[in-house]
Amino acid sequence: MKEFKYTITDPVGIHARPAGLLVKEVKKFASRIQIVSKDGKAADGKKLLALMGLGIRQGDEVTVTVEGDDEADAAAAIEKFLKENL
Amino acid sequence: MALDYRKCAQEIVDHIGGRENIAQAAHCATRLRLVIKDNSKVQKDYLENVDGVKGMFESNGQLQLIIGTGTVNKVYDEFLAITGMTEATKDDVKAAAAAKQPLWRRLLKPIGDVFVPILPAIVASGLMMGLVEALGKAVSSFSGTDWYAFLDMISNTAFAFLPVIVAISAARVFGGNIFLGAVIGLAMVHTNLLNGWNVGNKEAINAFFHVTDGVIPQWHLFGPILPIRLTGYQGHVIPVIIAVFLMCKIEKWLHKHVPEMLDLFVVPLVTVLSTTLLTFTIIGPIFSTLETWVLSGAEILVGNVFGAAAMGALYPWTVIMGLHHMYNVIEAGMLGSVGLNTWMPIASAANFAQFGACLAVGLKAKNNKTKVVAVPSALSAALGITEPAIFGVNLRFFKPFICAMVGGIAGSFYGALTKIGATAYGVTGIPGYLTIKQPLQYTILLAISGGIAFILTWTLWKEPETGMKKAAQKAKEEEKTDEAAYERGNVVITSSAGDINKPINGKVISYTEIPDETFASGALGEGVGIIPEGETIFAPFDGVISSVAETNHAVGITGPNDQELLIHVGVDTVMMDGDGFTTMVKEGDEVKTGQPLLVFDDEKIKAAGHPDVVVVLLTNSDDYTDFQYGERLK
Repeated sequence: MKEFKYTITDPVGIHARPAGLLVKEVKKFASRIQIVSKDGKAADGKKLLALMGLGIRQGDEVTVTVEGDDEADAAAAIEKFLKENL
Repeated sequence: MALDYRKCAQEIVDHIGGRENIAQAAHCATRLRLVIKDNSKVQKDYLENVDGVKGMFESNGQLQLIIGTGTVNKVYDEFLAITGMTEATKDDVKAAAAAKQPLWRRLLKPIGDVFVPILPAIVASGLMMGLVEALGKAVSSFSGTDWYAFLDMISNTAFAFLPVIVAISAARVFGGNIFLGAVIGLAMVHTNLLNGWNVGNKEAINAFFHVTDGVIPQWHLFGPILPIRLTGYQGHVIPVIIAVFLMCKIEKWLHKHVPEMLDLFVVPLVTVLSTTLLTFTIIGPIFSTLETWVLSGAEILVGNVFGAAAMGALYPWTVIMGLHHMYNVIEAGMLGSVGLNTWMPIASAANFAQFGACLAVGLKAKNNKTKVVAVPSALSAALGITEPAIFGVNLRFFKPFICAMVGGIAGSFYGALTKIGATAYGVTGIPGYLTIKQPLQYTILLAISGGIAFILTWTLWKEPETGMKKAAQKAKEEEKTDEAAYERGNVVITSSAGDINKPINGKVISYTEIPDETFASGALGEGVGIIPEGETIFAPFDGVISSVAETNHAVGITGPNDQELLIHVGVDTVMMDGDGFTTMVKEGDEVKTGQPLLVFDDEKIKAAGHPDVVVVLLTNSDDYTDFQYGERLK
């Protein structure tokens, strides 16, 4: 399992538009990918509504866990994606 | 008995003057909205008795026929088939109706819209200024006190910085950024510029610019052409409204054409720079030229009784243009040469006529909103500060303004005839007694101008039809009760997981037509957009609320077969930070089909400049092979 932390810088947080892009990215991988908010709520990265339901705003730190056959590639790609888009 | 839609539509067409007489047609949840070319061809009595028409009224240049939920769209379809017209949106109809109004009304409307919200500020200042100035004249020792200095400063604040207040309000009315609007207003009264009230005052000019010739310096940005005179716009209204109107046009154009990434760098900068350049190089000179003309024209006019009478009529127009602050120059000149200020009676007649007209509106109006504005504005006008009365009341209804002009003519004529005058300048109206030499004749002058304006307004002005308003209001309330109007049953998305009902009434479009790249690309799933006719979102299936945006503008619902539906009200509405949105559910709530989930304020969304389309997307649409979208009757 891979795990890393990231602090959201996008002014609207993980809202519809960025969340949709994130889901698209996550769906490229077979691994199970979870986004965990700082109060411990976890969401399946492939489910848009669950992600939005975390209510993550600008400045919040999230933990991303990746588990599966392509976890190394997935973790790297998602970290890159977050840095570029969120 | 079911209504014969075809017959109903045919009867309507036949009794509104036929196809040729219809400019545009649309419908909302309950009403058929028509823009008619020639209203005299409309047989109103007959229309009300047409089977299927539950009521009718005219509002905003539209003829509206109340037909009812679920029926109006069918009558409308027949209506289109009969007339061969194409479908118009509600906005098209509104625009056509606005274009139908006479030009002067279309020009006056924004002035009223800008001014009404700022009335509290200027009524307060107007009253206080009138009282403080009167006290200062009445008790000469008072004018030297700290209290006088303090009150004088506070009371003239709203007037000295009027352009700022007007600019903010105008930016709101014309849909620009209000802070950029404030910058435009502030630039126009910047402390580096000579106070607009001192334009004719040579000593003030010399002191301010450290010069000796009493000439206001200029900036030459473009060599010999378009110089900028270093003068502020204190007390001005019209140039500010024009400037901000321009600003909003420029800003909107830039928002459209500048890539989003560069938007914050480019748009505000270019907007402010180009607006201020245009304002100071073009609008400014037009007004300073006008000022000069008005000043020399006024000096010629007051030479004889008829000229004075004409001045009584023109005076309020110069108040509208913000040019009346210049008259001190004429008054000071008169006092210097002949020792008698014969200008003051003219100004008093014109101002007191505004008081008379405004008071008549205040007493006659049944609409409480009008009353509460008109009465204090009238009081302020009696004390010589007429801006609230002119902009907030008389000009808005226009007829009272004309009546006040007539009163002003009569009063000025009398004043010039009896050759009365004042021994100082600066006050008019009631406080004018402190400086007038002939109090008796002055009383008659005030009675003539104020009285004529009052009587004329009282007899000629009619409050905009309240009966119609009531009907319009009732219909609006009817529309507000979205719940009653909500057409349950129409389906917008289907798949093996189950049908998804339409969550709000309105025209359904494909997600690809949603004016937003992300939504239209399908990145968030496929579905539809709905141009809302209502302000409540209803649950489109039985499910569980899986997310509610913190800013209350979007909800997510998960259905029994894992359908993940996103309902997002408007585009970019996350920027509104919750203003105008209320949700009735929270995460984890179980909801039943047709249960209200969220209400929004459509006007606020539009005012904030966002499209109000309700986005309904099945976010996991690619999980279903038999996914279909588009409106379909169940």
